[in-house]
Amino acid sequence: MTRYVTLVAMLAVALGTAAVAADPADIPIVIEKNRFQPDVIKVKAGAPFVLVITNKDKGPEEFDMAQPRIEKVIPGGKTVRLKMPALKPGKYPFVGEYHSETAKATIVAE
Amino acid sequence: MGATFVVTLREAFEASLIVGIVYGYLEKIKARRGYRYVTWGGVLGVGASVGVGIAVTYLSGPLLDVGPDIITAVVIFAAVGLLTWHAWWMQQHARFIKGEVQHRIDEARAHNRLWVVGLIAFTGVFREGAETVLFLWGILAQAGAGTGWGSLAGGVAGVSAAAALGWGIFHGGQHVSLPRFFSVTTAFIMLLAAGLFSNGVGRPQWLGVLPASEPIWNTSWLLSDRSIAGGFLSGLIGYRSQPTLPEVGAYLVYLIVVWVLLFARRTPASVPLADLTRP
Repeated sequence: MTRYVTLVAMLAVALGTAAVAADPADIPIVIEKNRFQPDVIKVKAGAPFVLVITNKDKGPEEFDMAQPRIEKVIPGGKTVRLKMPALKPGKYPFVGEYHSETAKATIVAE
Repeated sequence: MGATFVVTLREAFEASLIVGIVYGYLEKIKARRGYRYVTWGGVLGVGASVGVGIAVTYLSGPLLDVGPDIITAVVIFAAVGLLTWHAWWMQQHARFIKGEVQHRIDEARAHNRLWVVGLIAFTGVFREGAETVLFLWGILAQAGAGTGWGSLAGGVAGVSAAAALGWGIFHGGQHVSLPRFFSVTTAFIMLLAAGLFSNGVGRPQWLGVLPASEPIWNTSWLLSDRSIAGGFLSGLIGYRSQPTLPEVGAYLVYLIVVWVLLFARRTPASVPLADLTRP
């Protein structure tokens, strides 16, 4: 029992520390006329961040990244905060799945 | 039109396969009275999908940020549990069903749990349903603006084609021998559930703070999971061209555990047929 309590306490501390240490930066993106703006988004490598995606179009759009695999629907006229994991330096393309011919963009982690 | 056809066909394909298999299974065990559970499960699944599609447009703030993810997670893991249970159940039946006693299976015994097939149909439809509804609705918004009617026709045709495929599975199942139907669908359901489980475990966004895992191999050059064929394999058996360690690990662990559960046990103490046929 004591061991269990200790474990839970340790886990709580670890999670708390992670939450304090992370405090991820907000990075805004806008969807308009079925395109992402900006279409190249620079972020700091190795740090989690939050994509704040505002869909100015009427219809919904789905943020769809292949690697890491992240999918998120943004209804028309809404803003969604999407927590992103820390990325290694590199390029991470994504599309709007509902309009993949026009809605294309890339996150560059450096 | 072509693109939306492919998207909706892919989204609806898995649901129609599951529903087709469950109907086929009920037909095989002569439990047609269970059809209504499946039908209701499917209808409620469509209703819930439309409901979520509408709800999402009224949500905002933190509820919109995490709400749909929580629903997706619950539905994925519920579907894994139900499909596993279904495979186990079919397996139990398959043990008793041997050739000439086939038609003597006790219907009442099966009926005790028939409502569960309704739940399976529900989760099968609901899982991709909300996304399909949102997708079609997005097309509709454009169609209203004067363009995109062709796309809408493509989307509707995709859902219809998926339904036809599900019916094909059901119909085709009638001509296959019972043990064969059971073993093929059990294997398929295991792979499908393994893919779902791996998909559920491998989503980094559900924790957000965890670093993204690197893919441990990349077979995009051979078959990308974004291509049409790769997309189908992805829906069917959870194919990934760039899987991460948690995804591959979850897939294997699921298959091994369920394999042991279903097959590696020794034959259970034989239940006398009299027990089976007693109401």
